[in-house]
Amino acid sequence: MPLLEGLRLALSQIWAHKLKSFFSLVGVIIGITFLIAVITIVEGMNRYVREDFAGSIFGINTFTVVRRPSIQTGRTTEEQRRRYARNPRLTLHDVDVVRRSAPPGVTVTWDSDRGFDQVRYGERERKNIRVVGASEGYATVQGWEVARGRGLSPLDERRGLKVAVIGPDIAQRLFPAESPLGKEIRVGPYRFQVVGVFEKRGGLLGGIWDAAILLPFSAYDETLSRDPGKLDEISVKAPTEKAMNDAMSAVEGGLRADRRLRPARDNNFQLQTSSGLLSAWNKINNVLLTVLPGLVSIALVVGGIVIMNIMLVSVSQRTREIGLRKAVGARQSDVLVQFLAESSVLSLVGAGLGVGIGVGLARIVHALTPLPASTPLWSLGLAVALGVVVGLVSGVYPASRAARLDPIVALHAE
Amino acid sequence: MDATRDLVIMTRGLTKDYQMGSETVHALRGVDLEIRRNEYIAVMGPSGSGKSTLMNLIGCLDTPSGGEYVLNGQAVQDLDDDELARIRNREIGFVFQTFNLLPRASSLHNVELPLIYGGVGSAERRERAEEALRMVDLGDRMEHKPNELSGGQRQRVAIARALVNRPSILLADEPTGNLDSATSAEIMAVFEHLHKNSGQTIIMVTHEYDIAAHAERVITLRDGQIESLDADITVPHAVAQ
Repeated sequence: MPLLEGLRLALSQIWAHKLKSFFSLVGVIIGITFLIAVITIVEGMNRYVREDFAGSIFGINTFTVVRRPSIQTGRTTEEQRRRYARNPRLTLHDVDVVRRSAPPGVTVTWDSDRGFDQVRYGERERKNIRVVGASEGYATVQGWEVARGRGLSPLDERRGLKVAVIGPDIAQRLFPAESPLGKEIRVGPYRFQVVGVFEKRGGLLGGIWDAAILLPFSAYDETLSRDPGKLDEISVKAPTEKAMNDAMSAVEGGLRADRRLRPARDNNFQLQTSSGLLSAWNKINNVLLTVLPGLVSIALVVGGIVIMNIMLVSVSQRTREIGLRKAVGARQSDVLVQFLAESSVLSLVGAGLGVGIGVGLARIVHALTPLPASTPLWSLGLAVALGVVVGLVSGVYPASRAARLDPIVALHAE
Repeated sequence: MDATRDLVIMTRGLTKDYQMGSETVHALRGVDLEIRRNEYIAVMGPSGSGKSTLMNLIGCLDTPSGGEYVLNGQAVQDLDDDELARIRNREIGFVFQTFNLLPRASSLHNVELPLIYGGVGSAERRERAEEALRMVDLGDRMEHKPNELSGGQRQRVAIARALVNRPSILLADEPTGNLDSATSAEIMAVFEHLHKNSGQTIIMVTHEYDIAAHAERVITLRDGQIESLDADITVPHAVAQ
C-alpha cells in the first residue's frame, strides 16, 4: 500500500476514535509537554543569562571590586560570611589604587547605591526608585543609553552639580505631558535638575534600572549617601577578555600591596565577573538537562506501552477488516505499513499536542513571571522524531501480528 | 475452440490436510476439477464435505497440501504469500455472506479497496469504482456508508468491489445467506446479468437449492471428494443428507 494511503487511513482511524486516541496518548503528551516546557524555559533562561542578566549586572569584559560578593554561588559558610563582614568598605582611595595598578586602556568607574527611595516633582511622586551615585562613564560601562538630553559629564562631577539622569519609568510617571529636561526633582530634602532620560531596558533586571536615578558621585556623596566617602563597587571595563584577566591580576596585586596584605593572607576584597555568575547558572542548567532525559524517557516508555496495547486491541477488533484486506490483495507488508503508519501517526499526534501544551505552559510562565520563554527549533524536531520513534517501536509488535494473520481465520473471526 | 485455453480453473489431485492436535484431518482427498470461462457454477455439499476448503484454495487464500491448481494458465500451488495476494487482487473477486464492507467507508471507497492494493492511481481508481457501482445499479449511492444501505444494496456494493479489478472469477460464498428471499432474488438477478452480459465466470457456494438452481452447473462434494460434476438438483434428496 502506498505510504500516503496508509497515512490517510491512519488519520481517519484516529479521528473515528477521538476519545480513545486521546487517552491512549496521555503518556506521550505528558512526556513531550515536559520536554518542550523544560527546554523552552531552560533555553529562555540561558539566553537571558547570557545576553541580558550578566550584561546588566556586570557588562561585558568587565569585573568589579566589591567588599563582599553581591551574588553568592554555591554555599557560603558562616565563617566566610563573618570574614566578608570584616572586609573594609571601599573608598575613593581604593579607586586611585585601582586606577594606578590597572593597565592602560581600561575604564574605571565606581558607584554607590542608596537602595530604594522615592522621588517627587510637584504633586507627583514615584516610590521604590533606585538612587545611584556614580562616576562619569558608569552608565556607558553598564551599557545604559541616554534617550533624551545628556549623560553625566566630568564637569558635573568636578563641580559637584546637583543634576540627575532619570530612568524612563520615572520620566513617564512624573512628567506625563511635559519634557523632564531642566525640571527639578526632589529626593528627600534635596533638589536635582534633570539633564537626561535613559533608554528603556525592560526585562527582569532592566525593570529595576528603568526606575533609577543616576547622580554624579560627588553630589550624591554630599547629599544622599548613607555612608559618605564610601563606595559599593569599582567597575573595570577592558576592551577584551584577555585584557580583563590581565587587569584583574594587576588590580588584585595593587590592592593587596596598598592594604599591606602578607602573602599568606586572603584578599580582604572580592573580584567578581559575569563568568562566575554564568558558571553558577550552568550548574543548574546541567542538572536540569541531566534529569530531563530520564523523566521524558519514563513518560515515553509508558506512553509507548499504552499505544502498543491500544494497537493490539485495535488489531483484534479489526481482524475481519484485515482478513478482507488480505482477500482483496493486501500483502503482509501492506498490512504492516498500515498499522505502523497508524501507531506512528497516533504517537505523532500526541507529540504535536505535547508541543502545543508545552509551548503554551512556557508562554504562561513567561506571562506570569519575568522568566523568558524561548522554544528552540531543534526541540520541535526532537519532539517530532521522538513521536515517530515511539510510534514505530510500539507499533512493530501489533503490526506484525496483524500482518501475519491467516486471511481465512481472520475473515471468519467474530 | 481450444478447450484448454478456455479453462479458467483446472485442478488435479488437489488435497488439503489439517493438523488438529495429534490428528490429521483430510479435508480434500484428491479433487479434479475443470471450469471454463463464463461458466456459472454452484458448489454444494453438506458441512464437512470440504466445500469451504475448496473455495479457499480456488480463491488462493490457502495453498494445497498436494496436487496441482492451474488458474488462468498459471500454476499457483507453490506460490508464496505475496504472490498469492497479487493473484487474489488480479484474478479473484470475493463476495461474502456477511458482505465484509468497511463500516466507516463510503461505497465508493469500499469498491476502490482492491485497486489501492493493485497500485492504481487515485483518479483512475475513482473512475473504475464509479463504473463498477453503476454496473450494480448503485450509481446514486456512491457516497453512502454501509449503515445507510439496505442488505441487498450492501451486497451489491460488495459485488461491485469484487468486480472492480476485472477478475477472471467471481467467488461467492453463500452470497444470499444473510438476505431475505426478495433481496436474494435481486442479487441473483445481478449475477445472472453479469453472467449473460459481461461473460463473467461465477462460482458460488450455497446450501439453498433455489439459489443453486440459478447456476448452469452444480458441483457437489462429499467427504472431501467430488460427488458429482453436474448434479441434478431437481431431486433434492439425491444431493444432501
